[in-house]
Amino acid sequence: MTTPRDPPLDAVTTAWRPRSPDGAARSHPAWHDLDDEGKREAYEVTRILRSIEAALDPEGLSTTARAVLRRLHGL
Amino acid sequence: MVDLDVLLADIRSGDPSAFARWMAGAEPTMRDSLRSFAAVVDVEAVLQEALLRTWQIAPRVELDGKTNSLLRVGIRIARNLAVSERRRARSAPSDDDAIDRARAGDPDGTTLPVVPDPHLRQAISKCADALPAQPARALHARIESAGRQDDDTLAAEVGMRKNTFLQNFTRARKLVADCLKRHGIDISLELA
Repeated sequence: MTTPRDPPLDAVTTAWRPRSPDGAARSHPAWHDLDDEGKREAYEVTRILRSIEAALDPEGLSTTARAVLRRLHGL
Repeated sequence: MVDLDVLLADIRSGDPSAFARWMAGAEPTMRDSLRSFAAVVDVEAVLQEALLRTWQIAPRVELDGKTNSLLRVGIRIARNLAVSERRRARSAPSDDDAIDRARAGDPDGTTLPVVPDPHLRQAISKCADALPAQPARALHARIESAGRQDDDTLAAEVGMRKNTFLQNFTRARKLVADCLKRHGIDISLELA
């Protein structure tokens, strides 16, 4: 069962982030659309999701860690 | 006690696979250290930058006689980045109080990484395998992409409209959590 808040909330739980011109990760555009309670909830949901992702990854890495590894390799 | 500094020599020598193993244990602890910033900065963006900078600074990190030196450095980097990001984007002077409260509590020698729980890992895997087709596609699309593509692109790749993709993704995470509860596991408590 989803609620009206869920889709925008889950829009920010991805590890994808836009990049600044110098390549740094910037805030997700949808993050700014959440109120304070929504931002805290997004943090908690993301925390749980990363543990699920790590459990499903052969090396125990979340999508956050995979995204950072790609950047180490200059991708 | 797990001490991720056993990986420090390899990380200093520029071994990304050693840093990957370090991140597997350090990332949840670094994310937890940013909880008090959750309403004022996008923690995911700050955390990715902090992990990258931790890798960059690792060759200059010296062991200080306590465990998890690099993790404690990473937490300081993450908190300082969160403060900088908030100050860059802030709109009200009163935010300073919130920032000061959030950066209180410097990491000490008791800072611990997360140790994978094989039982939880197995249960999550079983619950993910039991997902209906569409939620499973959305969940696995996000995992396989690992932040490479935005949801517009992922939704198109799996043949869904973006809102349908997000609804399926939300359903997937809730079904996994419900399945874990039926197995006696409250994942939010497991991570507390």
